[in-house]
Amino acid sequence: MQVYTTDTPAARSGRIKVGIADFAVSSDESTLTTSGLGSCIGVALYDPETGISGLAHAMLPNADDDSEPAKFVDTSVELLLEEMRAVGADTDRIVAKIAGGSTMFDFTSADGDGSIGDRNVAATRTALAGFGIDVVAEDVGGSHGRSLELESETGDLRVRSAKSGTHVL
Amino acid sequence: MNLDVRSLRTFSRLAHSGAEKAAGSLTTLAGIDTYVNVTKVELGTKSDVESEFAERDLVSVHIGFSGGLDGHTVLAFSPESAERLVDALMPGIDATDAEGELAESSLKEVANIMLGGFIDGWADYLDTTVDITTPTYVDDENDGPLDHIEAEGFENGGDDEHVLVFRNQLEAADNAIEFDLYMVPTASSIGTIVEASGDDGALPVESFAAFSEMINDGANQASEDITAMTGIDTTVEVSRLSFVPIEGVPMSLTDAVRRGVVLEFSGTPSGYIAILFDEPSAENIASSLLPGMEGDEAMRQSAIQEIGNITTSGFLDGWANALETTIDISPPKHVHDIGSAIIDPLATDLAQSQEYAFLIDSTIRTDDDEFTCDIYALPDETELRKALKQLSPAA
Repeated sequence: MQVYTTDTPAARSGRIKVGIADFAVSSDESTLTTSGLGSCIGVALYDPETGISGLAHAMLPNADDDSEPAKFVDTSVELLLEEMRAVGADTDRIVAKIAGGSTMFDFTSADGDGSIGDRNVAATRTALAGFGIDVVAEDVGGSHGRSLELESETGDLRVRSAKSGTHVL
Repeated sequence: MNLDVRSLRTFSRLAHSGAEKAAGSLTTLAGIDTYVNVTKVELGTKSDVESEFAERDLVSVHIGFSGGLDGHTVLAFSPESAERLVDALMPGIDATDAEGELAESSLKEVANIMLGGFIDGWADYLDTTVDITTPTYVDDENDGPLDHIEAEGFENGGDDEHVLVFRNQLEAADNAIEFDLYMVPTASSIGTIVEASGDDGALPVESFAAFSEMINDGANQASEDITAMTGIDTTVEVSRLSFVPIEGVPMSLTDAVRRGVVLEFSGTPSGYIAILFDEPSAENIASSLLPGMEGDEAMRQSAIQEIGNITTSGFLDGWANALETTIDISPPKHVHDIGSAIIDPLATDLAQSQEYAFLIDSTIRTDDDEFTCDIYALPDETELRKALKQLSPAA
């Protein structure tokens, strides 16, 4: 039963909201948005030829067997790609932009593998490399939060933070 | 009545899938993209719920249900959201025409469709039939927004009686329309659902209620301490214990910029606390703690950290007493960032070992709203269960 992944309703307002542990695909010039990335990572995928875009907001690096796939980087990238291909995108053309994965606090629970933010960034690179997808732009790490807007038609990814305003990747 | 984490999960799933059905109905009916933001299972009292309605001037439509399950559902909007929704449903028609009757009938229709979908989801799960009543429109002029559901939803009718409330935050049309979908089943209906999901390790609902009261006391103490320290006269607006899918924790905050502190606490239970102010409130604190001084950023930060410390000890000290344990608090870390992004790493850290979280949130404010402080506490689930056992009447 997959009750936590919001089924993307047909886009009519031009904006599709991607929750946490969620992903969505647009093939009709909509803007995909997600907010509140701290240690979470946002993965924006774009096929320039078809204008098909996808955005995922994952919490943790790698899924266990029975975990909710949209929550994890590896499984959410795989599902996002699958959904993009289903509507006509081609993996060979798809490029990626990534943002998030910050380390805002030094928690006592952090072990030797680095912060969750760092591990999320590393897992994203590995997952994308596995499909031969290049990361063409990124805004990762640091110690601040981010919100994202992906223009599906152009592949522009607007990154907003509290202190430095908005910039485009 | 006993509750366990497994049945809370069942409740949460049911409420979430019901809410998605409701959102889908509105998307189909009105062509307005509607999303379920967060689904929370809350343990609250009637006065908690009513004070929230009063505070936010909510208008609502109520629908009762009976059969395999008994209780009430409420679809609640701010007046602005209600107007925008009517406008989206019937563009060009003045929403407040004919003494508001037009708005009333369209809101009733929306509620009928959405709440109907919501209840169907529950009935399907329990493989039973549930009948719904005709919708009743209730505006904020009425004395008690929940008065007429007293008889069934709140068994004994007491204002301090704890009930399970299912609250779903939905958003439509680029956040312009927000509404909450509440469901208040009767105690015996909760029993039916608990039975359907198995009940290993269930705890009596009284221990949840005792914990919830402990949170209330903590929030009141924190409010008194803030007032004593700053001279700002504050009260506790709301204090809640809810059960939420872990990813729903950051989603209960907006991306407005907040300032405050984050701390770790350790003991039984351990977990995280965030004390967050909106920017004007943070300014108020800094200036009341640094009277007559043009404090620099470092001084402001330390003023916020100081108030964070005071608030946290006020909030947690009572827990340690009630649970007969010690709870240690880490030094406060100053934060100034997007609200949901501040909470995200806390939830994510817990997400490594749990799929759901007990979220405690309290709001402390002045009557004129010039000062607001939100306290979010996220205890480790397993440790909180130990703490709850400690509070069981039998313990």
